[in-house]
Parts: sequence; structure tokens; C-alpha cells
Amino acid sequence: MRDVETRPKKGEWIIVFTILFASLPLILGFALLVISSFSRDMVTNLSLSSFRPTIENWINVFQGKLAITGGIRQNILKITLNTLVVALGVSGTVTLISTLAGYSLSRIKFKGRKLMMLLLLMLHAFPGVALIVGVYLLYRLTFPQEPSFVRLYSFFYVILARAALEIPMSVWLMKGFFDTIPWELEWSGIIDGASRIKVWRQIMLPLIKPGILAVALFGFLAGWQDLIYVRTFLIDQTLATFIEANIEAEYSHMPLIAAAGTLYLLPTIIFFLTAQQLLLQSYSGGIKG
Amino acid sequence: MVKITLDRITKKFGKFTALNNITLEIEDKEFMALLGPSGSGKSTLLYTIAGIYKPTSGKIYFDERDVTEVPPKDRNVGLVFQNWALYPHMKVFKNIAFPLELKKAPKEEIEKKVREVAKMLHIDHLLDRYPWQLSGGQQQRVAIARALVKEPDVLLLDEPLSNLDALLRLEVRAELKRLQKELGITAVYVTHDQAEALAMADRIAIIKDGNILQVGDPDEVYYKPMYKFVAGFLGSPPMNFVEAEVEGDMLRIYHSRIPIPKQYGEIIKKLNITEVLFGFRPHDAEIVRGEAEGIKGEIYSFEPLGREQIITVAVDSDVFVKVFAPEEEHFRFGEKVTIVPREDRVILFDKKTEKALEYL
Amino acid sequence: MKGEKLRNLSFFLSPMIIMVGLFYLIPLVFTVYISFTKMRNWNIERYLTEVVGFYNYQRLFHMFQHDPLMRTVLLTTIIFVGITLIINVFGGLLLALGTFFINERSSSAIRLLWLLPRMSPIAVYSLVWYYFFHGSEIGTLNSILMKLGVLSQPIPWGQIVPWGAWSVIIFVNGLVGVSFGMIVFTSALNQIPKELVIAARVDGASAWQISRKILVPMMKWHLLYVLTWQFLSLLTTYPHLFLLVQWDLVSRDYGTTLALYVYNTAFGRGEQDQGLAAAAAVLLSIIGIIGGLVTLKVLQFEKMIHEPRGDIE
Repeated sequence: MRDVETRPKKGEWIIVFTILFASLPLILGFALLVISSFSRDMVTNLSLSSFRPTIENWINVFQGKLAITGGIRQNILKITLNTLVVALGVSGTVTLISTLAGYSLSRIKFKGRKLMMLLLLMLHAFPGVALIVGVYLLYRLTFPQEPSFVRLYSFFYVILARAALEIPMSVWLMKGFFDTIPWELEWSGIIDGASRIKVWRQIMLPLIKPGILAVALFGFLAGWQDLIYVRTFLIDQTLATFIEANIEAEYSHMPLIAAAGTLYLLPTIIFFLTAQQLLLQSYSGGIKG
Repeated sequence: MVKITLDRITKKFGKFTALNNITLEIEDKEFMALLGPSGSGKSTLLYTIAGIYKPTSGKIYFDERDVTEVPPKDRNVGLVFQNWALYPHMKVFKNIAFPLELKKAPKEEIEKKVREVAKMLHIDHLLDRYPWQLSGGQQQRVAIARALVKEPDVLLLDEPLSNLDALLRLEVRAELKRLQKELGITAVYVTHDQAEALAMADRIAIIKDGNILQVGDPDEVYYKPMYKFVAGFLGSPPMNFVEAEVEGDMLRIYHSRIPIPKQYGEIIKKLNITEVLFGFRPHDAEIVRGEAEGIKGEIYSFEPLGREQIITVAVDSDVFVKVFAPEEEHFRFGEKVTIVPREDRVILFDKKTEKALEYL
Repeated sequence: MKGEKLRNLSFFLSPMIIMVGLFYLIPLVFTVYISFTKMRNWNIERYLTEVVGFYNYQRLFHMFQHDPLMRTVLLTTIIFVGITLIINVFGGLLLALGTFFINERSSSAIRLLWLLPRMSPIAVYSLVWYYFFHGSEIGTLNSILMKLGVLSQPIPWGQIVPWGAWSVIIFVNGLVGVSFGMIVFTSALNQIPKELVIAARVDGASAWQISRKILVPMMKWHLLYVLTWQFLSLLTTYPHLFLLVQWDLVSRDYGTTLALYVYNTAFGRGEQDQGLAAAAAVLLSIIGIIGGLVTLKVLQFEKMIHEPRGDIE
């Protein structure tokens, strides 16, 4: 309860409707995308006659039938798998590094701690476009000579480089989660003879599972949705670069792209439905610092 | 089972001095209470003994061993926290076993010791539960069991009862005292509850603003307080203090004159003091209707408590004292009365230093 | 104890330090270095060692003064950042205040809805607006206006320069940024003691008066935070713009901000000029660093970082 409960209900409904009205383009846009993916023609023109239900788009997407690419079949499952690999890789890297660093920034006194945290904040605000030029040069300079490693290396590199972008905020977020665990639990372990690493692994990690989950989730979404790093570094295609490349489809193929887009949106929707409280809370927690 | 010696301990957090030159000896097998209001430094002192904090200066000895630089795990202390700090993701058994597992004790030994200590604390039927499935009292026993399982030399307790409800607190209080004596373990007990300290401790150290004001057994600190603060902190309702002026052999207290208590006659002469604080406990005074030799005033309010009642008497327009009276007496608001303090229990404090005159 | 602490610290911190070194510090040095070379088309073998001093910077400033395309980019950047910033801050504030006064269920639903632009994949989100502003009859905006009889012909909105293109990029990015302000302000509002609101209600204040007289004045720090942080973020954001321009939804000239210009010059189609791009990137970084430092100073972040209370010494 944030406001008194006996205030007039009328005012509340006015606010709700005003906000919903302002949100209309947003709702409409996403809804039309999803509906179009189940129609023979795009329904974005808001005309009922365009809506001819079918699941053919989805069948075609999974079969990779895209006439525009000159009859070459695209293995969409492979592309989805690529996206998934990047997303999971980013998520894992970010989670591991931020649970380690977040603990020490929350719990250990050392010289330069404050500076390090401010620096992280600065890095978070640093223009990514200024970095990517240098990141690409590093990529080219470390490129393996052996051709069979090239594709593997590009995955490896894009995961690390993309994860690095998420690290400043995730470390802050994780530090915030560690800050909420009472010191007594840690003292108790230390008095009983546990080392800091043991305290971290056996006492703290089980207690900050929600935090780990939140960071892993954000890491996953960051990797999943990334466009720029993937198109700059990755040799294989992901859903993002797939949609980017195939947008200029003829009208007859547009619903197909809509289906691919809806497929791409699915994890976001799933997270929204299952972890909404976690998302809302940790978002504010992370930003608050 | 060790004797703890704190030698001129000072602890600073930045510019703030939490402990100021504390010297204290805690005997082997003794139950020592550290009593003080919140922010007095009593918990800091406890954590310094545990090794969580390192003193800025000073030394700590367990028997003859200098442990000032020894990390907590090598001090062999058991610590019970105010919030009990049970690991929420471990079952009771695992919680209690954890200190032994860290020591890499063999499995059978862990099993045996956990069951032993659980039995002693009557929680052996709860070993298979998670902390959140237990009541407050049960959680508290688990915390004590976890502290005791590694057979520590010293048991440190940080307000372990303050999260329990009032009735349970009384019960656990008695039990804890008994347990400590049975095990013969040196115990340091931090509390802000004077009744707890009086009821349980062998000796009490009263701490205020990082200084130890007085150390003594419960009788001593209760009946022979060195400072007004100690006198006011122990006992409920607290001791009454009224300003008094020395006039020859008499004390003037607002509109009354009473003789100087016998035990103070010579001290006052010797020190040549004119202004004092007149202290007496609500139990150590009688209330008489009308005029008599004592402190005159009128009834301001009365609070029946069942067996007795607390009478608030206005000695002057905004000076009040509280006195106990038998329940059957009935007073009216504004009635003129006289308070007659029991002479041998009166304590006079120096008005400036707030120290009892006999300790000046 | 000392050695143990060092061991612990390196265990916990070294992965992060390595990552920061590899993907922030080294690239930064590289970018600065490239800005002093003649690097083109990523021809590393040929140009990596060809240092040309401040040549790229001179070119850049010359373009600022004389190249109409570059001047358009600068103008677009200023307009885009300025207007989107206002929309972000006020939109976020209004959403946060609006959801503050309604029941918990509706307010979390609305907040989730407005998180959608930020959380959905950039490609999908841009796709949604691609259809919405599409220049043909399938464009949602066109078909609505045609059904209402306002238009008889579909209009390619993003190709109308300058304001059509600007409006589209501002709209698309504006909705993404609103959620940041909304989240920060909502968490700020939740920290305001509810007794203050209740007391004002008892005294007869309306939601509007409560917002203006009590809530907003108590969120000054957060307003400043969102304003400065979002400014930096808008100055350097480009993924959405990249797609909108790439897909020809908006005019290339009036849909390109400085950040996108850097990216397209370094990685875009056709002739690439990394030397020039790096010079522009360095310029952008300088603005970013100054902005960041000012933000940290003004918002006094360093005071929010407390010493760990109970570290074992």
C-alpha cells in the first residue's frame, strides 16, 4: 500500500486509461508482429481482410525456405542455436566474473576499492562505439592462422567481448546482492575456521541464488539480443543478423520475417511471464547501485 | 576454558573511538556480562575478543597466550549472534556440523558430537529441519549448539535473547545460566537489558561511550554504583535523582530539609561539597500522607501494577520521583504527601562529575 | 594475514581485471592509436604502422566546418539527444508517478509493458517500428491515417527530411529510454516514507499536488541522475539507428548521429575509413569521460560507496 485505500477509484481509472492510451502504439506494434506471423499477409495495415490464418510461415521458418536468399535454404535451427550459444556464453561469463568480483567489492577492505568501483561506473557509461574499433583490431591481431579454428574463435571472441560490456553493471548489481547478506553469517563461518573462498562458495553462493539468477538472466538477454557485436565479429549468423539481412523481402515474404522475429522474441516473453518480479526488482537494484 | 585478559584495548573506526582504553579480566569459567545502551561499544568489545575486529592498540590474552594478532578461527571461540546467523540453506544438522566439517573431523565423530550437543539442548528431534521451520526459541538453541559443538574455550553471546518474546526469554535465561555452569565454560554475554545481566552474570561490566564505568558482581553494581549512569541504568523503574544542597548537617531538597545520611556525613565534610544529586530507588522509600520528615510533594499520578503501585510525586513544578506503595493505599491527584527514603540505601553523587561521593 | 588477503583478492578480482584490461583498456589504446594512422578498409598489413599524426583530426575538423553531410550528422546528434532526453526524463517521471497512484497489479503490468522495448531484441524491436512506419500501405501509421481520411497516399515517413526522419528515430529511441527513468524514479518513490503521502491525503491533497509538492522535490538527486546518465547513453547509442538506416526506413543523412557515423565509417558498407572513425570515436570518448566525471562529481557517487562494515582485519 503506497497510497490511502479510500481515495476515489475514478481518479485511478483515469490514470490507468491515460497510460494505456499512451502505450497503445507499443501494444499495437508488438501485437501486430505476432499476429502477422500467423497470417498469409501482413496485418500491420489493420485491415481484417489481410488476416488469413496459417502456420505456414512457421513451418517455412523452421524449414529455412527463404526465396529471397536465392533458393539457398537457411538452417534456422542452426541460427537459433548460434544465438543460444552466444547468449549462454555471455550469461555464464558475466555471472562467474561478477559473483567473484561482486563478493570482494562488497566484503573485503582494500586499497583502491572505491576507485575501482567508480571506474566500473565510468566504464559502464563509456561510449561503446569508441571501444569497438579497438576491440576489432585486437580481434584481427589475435586471429588464429589455422582455418579450422576460425569459426570457433569467432564464437569465443564475441562471447568474451560482449560479456565485457555487461561486466561493470553486473558487478555492481552483484555487489548489491552481497551487501544484503548479514555479516553475521560470514563471521560465523570465519570463526569456525572457513577461508574467505570457502565462505564465498559454501555460505554466500547458496544465499544469493536470486542475485545469480538475475545476473545470469540479464547476461542471457544481453547476449541473445545483441546485434552489433555479433554482426561485427561472428562469422556465423544469429537471429539478429538473419533478420537484419533479410528485411528487404518482398511483401509476400514479410510474414515469414515476422515469424522469425516472433521466434526471436520468445525468450524475452518467457522471462517476462516467469520472472517478472525478479526483473523489476533487480533492475531497480542494479541501477540504484 | 581460559582466562581472558584485555589490556588497554582501544578501537577506532576512522575518527570515531568505539573502545577507549579498556582493561578487563574475565576469569576462567566466569559468566561476564557486558552491559550498556546501544552504541556503547559492548558488541565491538565482544567482536574484538572474537577476532573479527583487531584493536587499534592494546593486547588480548587467552591465559598467557597473546591472541591479538590471531585470526578468529585459531582462537577456538564459539559465537552466538543476535540474529543467530543460522545458514538458511542448511538443515539443522548441517548447521551444527559445519564447524566440525571445516576442521575436517571424521564423519562418525561429527555425527556423534552433533547428536550429543543437540541432545543437551533438547533439539535432537529437529535435526532434519531447515532453520525457517523452527520457532525462535528453537533457532536460538541451534545457534548455541553450533557454537558449542566445537568445544570452544570461550563462549561469546551477542544479545542472544533479544529476538525472543518476553516469556520465552525468562525461561531460556535460567537454562543458559545452568548450561554455562555445567560446562564450566568461560562466557562473555553482551546485553542492553539490565535485568538479564543481573539475573545471569557472575560479574557485570557496565559500558558507556567506549569506557567501562564499573565492574562488579550484581549486588555490587546494584547497591554500590560508582556513577549516576550505572545507578540509573540498573533497576526498573530507574533510581530517582533529585538535586540537593548541603546546608550544615542538612540537605535542602526543593521545599524540604532532611538530615544528611549517616554514611555520608564525614565524606561531605572532608570534600567540602555543597551541591549533590540525591539518589534513591523506588523500592527504597516509603510514602506518608501529609507532613513528615522527608521530601515533601504532591501526588502527580499513580499506576497500579497488581501487587503494588508506582506513585509519581511532584517534588517541584517539573521535578518528579517515582516510589512504590502497597496496592491497598489509595491516593487522590494533588494530595500532599511526604517521601521518606531508607537512609542506608541513599546514594549521593557529585553534581559535576556524577560520581558517587564515596568513590571521589 | 597479509599474504592471505592478497591471495583472496587475486582469486576474486583477477578475472574481472583481465576482462577490463582486454576489452576496455587495450581497445581504448588501440582506438587512440588507430586515430593517428592511415588505417582504411581494415588493411592491417599495409596501414597499421603508417602513422600520420593529427591528419585524421584535421580532416575531421575540416569536415565539421565545411562538409554539409558531417554538419547534418552533428545537427542530427544535437536534435536527437536533446529531444529524446526530454522525452525520456519526463516520460519516465510521468510513468513512475502515474503507476505510484494506482493499484499494485496494474502498475506492475504497466511497468513490465514499458520494459518491453529495452528487453526485447534490438532487431525485433526495430522490426516492430519498421512495420509501423513503413512507407507503403502495410505501414500501420499510414493505414490508420488513410482510414481516417487524413491521407490519400501512403507517405514514407522516415524519408521526409529533416523532421520526419528525426521524429522516427526520436520516437523509437525515446520509448527505449523511458524505462530507465521509470525504473529509477519508481525505486526512488518506493523509498519515500508512505506516511508522508498519507499525511498529505489526510490534509486533502490531490495526486497532482502530492506529486508536485512532495514527491518530485524529494527526487531531485534521481532526476539529475537520470538526466546525466541518459544524456551519456543517448550520445553513444546507435544499434537501433543502425538498423533503421540500414533498412532504409529513415533517411541515411538525417538518421545518422555521431556514434552511428563512427560505426558506419569503421564497419559499414563500401569504403571504410578507420582512421577517421577512430578520431571521431576519440572525440566522443572525451565528451563521454568528461560527462562521466562531472556526473560522478555532481551526484557524489563516491559518498554512496561505504567501507565494508565487518571485514576481518
